[in-house]
Amino acid sequence: MSDIDNQSLFFGGRHYFVLFVLLCLMIGLVGRALYLQIVEKEFLASQGGQRQIRTIETPAYRGAILDRFGIPLAISTPVDSVWVNPSEILQNLPALKLATRQLSINYISTVDNLKRKANKEFVYLKRQIEPELASQVSEGIDGIYTQREYHRYYPAGEVVGHLVGFTDIDDKGQEGLELVYDDWLKAEPGARRVIRNRKGAVIEEINQVSAAQSGKDVYSSIDMRLQYIAYRSLARAIKYHAAKSGSAVLLDARTGEVLAMVNQPSYNPNQGKKQSSDQRRNRALTDVFEPGSAIKPFTFAAAIDRGLYSQKSNIDTSPGWYMVSGHPIKDFRNYGVLDLASILRKSSNVGASRIALSMTEEELWQSFSDYGFGQAPGVTFPGESSGYFRHFADWQKLDHAIMGFGYGLSVSITQLARAYAMIANQGRHVDVSLIRKEPEAEIENRVQRHVMSSKTAKMVLEMMEQVVGPTGTAQLAAVPGYRVGGKTGTAKKSAAGGYDKDNYFSVFAGVAPISDPRLVMAVIVDEPTQNGYYGGKVAAPVFQEVMSNALRILDVAPDDIPSLQAQIADKETGV
Amino acid sequence: MRRIFWVALLLAFVLGSALTVIYVKHESRVLFSELRNVQKKQDQKIIEWGRLQLQNSTLATHSNVESRARKTLKMKLPETVQLVRLP
Repeated sequence: MSDIDNQSLFFGGRHYFVLFVLLCLMIGLVGRALYLQIVEKEFLASQGGQRQIRTIETPAYRGAILDRFGIPLAISTPVDSVWVNPSEILQNLPALKLATRQLSINYISTVDNLKRKANKEFVYLKRQIEPELASQVSEGIDGIYTQREYHRYYPAGEVVGHLVGFTDIDDKGQEGLELVYDDWLKAEPGARRVIRNRKGAVIEEINQVSAAQSGKDVYSSIDMRLQYIAYRSLARAIKYHAAKSGSAVLLDARTGEVLAMVNQPSYNPNQGKKQSSDQRRNRALTDVFEPGSAIKPFTFAAAIDRGLYSQKSNIDTSPGWYMVSGHPIKDFRNYGVLDLASILRKSSNVGASRIALSMTEEELWQSFSDYGFGQAPGVTFPGESSGYFRHFADWQKLDHAIMGFGYGLSVSITQLARAYAMIANQGRHVDVSLIRKEPEAEIENRVQRHVMSSKTAKMVLEMMEQVVGPTGTAQLAAVPGYRVGGKTGTAKKSAAGGYDKDNYFSVFAGVAPISDPRLVMAVIVDEPTQNGYYGGKVAAPVFQEVMSNALRILDVAPDDIPSLQAQIADKETGV
Repeated sequence: MRRIFWVALLLAFVLGSALTVIYVKHESRVLFSELRNVQKKQDQKIIEWGRLQLQNSTLATHSNVESRARKTLKMKLPETVQLVRLP
């Protein structure tokens, strides 16, 4: 029994001991809670406020636009935007005053603005400034914060302005390639949840909600070296001839890639929308004109391809004019009987219209459509024009005749360049591209459908060579050491009720080198008013300057060594 | 006796795991601050890279190169007669 008593006593002591310990613990907890609630409340609340869980954006940058060798045409570099929380910063006006001075913005109007937006939490102070300045301004000041953004720079400026286009301040493409490839270039900012202190500095990262995805780069087909030369030559010609505007397009004859595309007047994409839409237009793709005589090689190609004419065919163009539906079709003078090459060389309208009339309307329409007239060049560019080319069912006989020398239809200079590229590409169809193609594209192009037989293409090419020859209309297009071919055009501008007498389009389109065509270039000058207006006088020299440099830069071997040697011999004998 | 052994063992595990938690937490803080530093450095590099790229493309503008070649270095294109053809 005593055993049991002893036991119960022993257990009784233990019971009180446990109770005592639990009581102590409880007093401790309550005491701690009271202490935290009352004594340390302020300190803890401020600490809690400093550590906030926020979802913040991880910045990602927009992809670059590069030339075909990787030279940047448009790149994004980091900048910071400074923003404030009005309710916070308005408590600290001296700091705000200092910040406005550092950012060189007006203090008084800033305060007014912030007071109006006092209930907001986020107001930009200044956007897109150098990161260093931004951190100077915001460091250590409550209520001034920075936000990482990317600014778009266009190092090449106006030389590629029309092609590249520009973005707005929120990094959205507005024009040109920036607009077309916006989805590809655009960056997806990521999001992560972090704990931040009051100064906005991240103390701890909790997790990543989504990963930042920077934009992808776009390699354009442009070769900056050629682009610059083309830009310079065209600008010089526009100035020399006091012309209204002008465009030039240089294509790779094998792949259809655009190596250079320039326009005048130009604009600087770094200044974006500040410039007039007239300046911003990429005329090479958007503006159309009546090509005039520059279309003649295609009239020839269509007729030769159908076996209607051969190299030896002669056409009597005397007396230098004839009537179609009561309208005269005139040559510059009476050329008499001419073979095909001479019709092209002398640019006889009578001859070309006779050739056009030798085909049915449908045949001529079909061929011209195949050469890409009336079809958009397909480079996907905002405002890209497909020209104006009516269906043959709507043609009158006069339309049919004048179509042969480039009236009654209009084309963009890029369409014209593409058509010449088809001749240069042995009669195969050519797709124009503003984006660099893989090297295999050349082989791919070899399976393109023929729009004319390679025999026809070769024949027309050789006839075009004579145009640039010593008796042709485009002697100024000749490039020493290379066989070059092309065709001039001088088209009257249409005006209300007919054609303007004094205003012209001067056009030249050509191919080089003839033995194995590599490059195709088309130039148009709109309304040259000084120093001549003929295509051979105005546009051909631009072609010559760009082509001679381009052939050298691209390391194309001269295919006309004898002429070079003749020149050297001439110089040596002092002739 | 065996029960005490098991309890002691589990207690050791609990203690060990608690200490590991402390250690890992510390480790993660150290690594996080390291990550922040590296990210800051990376950011600086990106800023500098962008600046250099801009500087590069400004200095290497074709018009700039051309005018320097022509004026400062007095370079010019060879004339046709100066060309030599290697067989």
